[in-house]
Amino acid sequence: MRNVGIVGVGYCPQFVSKRKDVSIPEMISEAVDAAFADSGLGPQDIDAIVFGNMHTFEGVNLPHLWSVEHIRALGKPVMRIATGGTTGMTAFHAGYYHIASGLHDVVMVVTFEKHSEGDAQVGLLGIITPEAVAMMMAGIDLTGEGGMGAQGGGSAGAITYQAVSWMHKSGATIDHIDAIAAMERRNAAKNPYAHLKDPEATAEKIAKTPMISYPVRYGHVCPTTDGATVCILASEEKAAKIADKVAWVWGVASCASDPTTGNLIEGLITDPAEQMQCVIAAREAYKRAGIEDPKREIDYVEIYNGFAHQTLMYLELVGMCEVGEAHKLLEQGELEITGRLPVNASGGVVSTNAIGTSALNRVTECALQIMGKAGERQVEKEVHKALAHGWGGLMQYASITILADKPKKL
Amino acid sequence: MAGKVAVVGLKFACAPDLKTTRERLVFELTRGLFDELGIDRHEVDTFIMCSNDFIDGRTISTVFLDAPSGAYLKDETKVEMDGLNALIYGWMRILSGQYDTALVVSLGLTGSQASPYLNIQYSLSPTYERQVGLLNELAGAALQARSYLSRSGYSEELLDLVAAKDLQLAAKNPRQGRRLEAVDVDKVRSSDYYYEPLRELHCYPRTDVGCVVLLASEKKAAELTEKPVWILGAGNSIETYFYGERDLSRSPSAAEATRRACSLAGISDPSKEIDFAEVSALFAHQEPLLAESMSLIPEGEAEKAYRDGITGPGGSMPINPSGGSLGGHTVCAGGLLRLCEAVLQIRGEAGPVQLEKAGTALVHGQDGLCAQQNAVLILGA
Repeated sequence: MRNVGIVGVGYCPQFVSKRKDVSIPEMISEAVDAAFADSGLGPQDIDAIVFGNMHTFEGVNLPHLWSVEHIRALGKPVMRIATGGTTGMTAFHAGYYHIASGLHDVVMVVTFEKHSEGDAQVGLLGIITPEAVAMMMAGIDLTGEGGMGAQGGGSAGAITYQAVSWMHKSGATIDHIDAIAAMERRNAAKNPYAHLKDPEATAEKIAKTPMISYPVRYGHVCPTTDGATVCILASEEKAAKIADKVAWVWGVASCASDPTTGNLIEGLITDPAEQMQCVIAAREAYKRAGIEDPKREIDYVEIYNGFAHQTLMYLELVGMCEVGEAHKLLEQGELEITGRLPVNASGGVVSTNAIGTSALNRVTECALQIMGKAGERQVEKEVHKALAHGWGGLMQYASITILADKPKKL
Repeated sequence: MAGKVAVVGLKFACAPDLKTTRERLVFELTRGLFDELGIDRHEVDTFIMCSNDFIDGRTISTVFLDAPSGAYLKDETKVEMDGLNALIYGWMRILSGQYDTALVVSLGLTGSQASPYLNIQYSLSPTYERQVGLLNELAGAALQARSYLSRSGYSEELLDLVAAKDLQLAAKNPRQGRRLEAVDVDKVRSSDYYYEPLRELHCYPRTDVGCVVLLASEKKAAELTEKPVWILGAGNSIETYFYGERDLSRSPSAAEATRRACSLAGISDPSKEIDFAEVSALFAHQEPLLAESMSLIPEGEAEKAYRDGITGPGGSMPINPSGGSLGGHTVCAGGLLRLCEAVLQIRGEAGPVQLEKAGTALVHGQDGLCAQQNAVLILGA
């Protein structure tokens, strides 16, 4: 096993609803240039490229093939990773293993999504379209897993079950979801790469947004964003030569569960708030990072929160607090940029969601906090170790990355 | 690169119509492999899935495949390109020391459920080529074939020779998806033109393919098999997308991928040190073209090599002794199909198509129009 560190981060200049001024490869190229500027590296320094996005959201296929010039990959190994919402982080993990294996020294991870070229909800419905077609051809099969998949609807429909279940377990109320959403919007206002920003956001303001499906309001839901993120990784020997400030990878882990649509007739539905895969991935990542008490050892957390309640729910699931405690920490102001357990100083996914980048942005935001390069969104406390989280699929995938300000003792 | 990684088990299926669902196919292959090895899913440390969302007709197409492949509550990820790259990722994960075993699970139902050509059609740039609609996989391949024959001064008959050799071997190989009776050069030549100079029998068939391959570290391999097949090296490379800027008669990315793989494997002259190759040649002309680019046969001598039988099963450089991709191919699982055949050869289990000398193999997989991206693996006993 070799130590691997983050030596460069690049975002495209804006994360917004519609980048009509650039094509997909041009938008990716902006982030690649930004990462080169940040690291002082150039194409000649990169050994291999990992590329990630969910191409059905744009209605395209294998975009790395026609973006090859723009990712500066001519003549190099390129690996395409696609795992749904976790794509950004699983691509990062692939970059990590490129180096940890000893086969490569400097690897560039390129992720993007350009939602304005397609329709994210159409892309998501594509998960269950085969079921819907089968149901039309053969009749509705309510006893099968597939049949239930088709009843799930788009992602906001399915997520309400999760939010209600979590509220029941934790004792939190819809007011807490309004409050965390407002905090994320205010944090986003400090992040030049965030999409939905509101420096004046309050719980009361969020509570006035329309109810989509109880308890999920319009103000609790992520936007669809155009954006690209690039992260450059290097082996310990190379990192020392490239960068003064490096965020070191201490532990990475992923886990897959079954789609949480289940089988309602036989009572075999998985509780979408249980998220056992997240618990397992976090446990494994802590073990690999040698972390025994995350509450004490982790200083900063970035949660993948497509929906606002997930910030609080996943804080509990990754073991940063007890079940039922997250909304109390929120009430006490501890989750703010100035708090004892700052979370999503970036504004999180609920403020910016270019899906392929979303899980990688959790990692790069943790890295910037560790390097002290987060600008206006830099948290008050010193960040020595940070945890980045991602989820995807039909609420069934989890990925965790743990970063630190020093290389791990091997 | 520290440590050794071996292929310790595999199971695959290839047919024009496997008459099953993706979920059942994956379950039966994985379950079958576990039973053969006498293990259960908990002995697999990490799962690498490999399929294409467009061909599967589903966004995040692994959502319903994890449970049937045994990945439930296990470490899992997905590579969306030719399966050899998924295998390379599994190899990396084991080399890192984090894992001891990795299962690669790949499939593509392009025989019964989706047109394989759609994959290329949709992987053209949405801003230009795809909208114009003039370019497709077959037209592109035909331009490449013409360009290769013209530059090399080969006759069109080379394509018939290649196809006849592969289709005859495929007919002998019970694991192949397309097995034609009494096929020879004349039969190939009498098949219809798709796009000149490519005829129907020069092109890969529509087949359903599923493949599972288990990798293990040196220590674990000794527990799981008496016949480990070692990964000696691997490489990947990509060339420009812009069709007009490519010299289609050569494959610089296949050459670069081979150079990387051979340098890791300590091979300086592939034509002497490799015993045979399994190459994802989707069209007849690609087999000699790639073989030349990968330094398996000397450039400019392919037609002579095929006429003299050098690339046949009795020759000095057998290429696709299994019958190759003209006997069966699909998106994603295609390269793994070649890998499985190469592993069976090295183990001496290739049956009617077994070679006498099969110690070291080169395996190749491709992505994109006219093999824009290539992956190469070197395997050894």
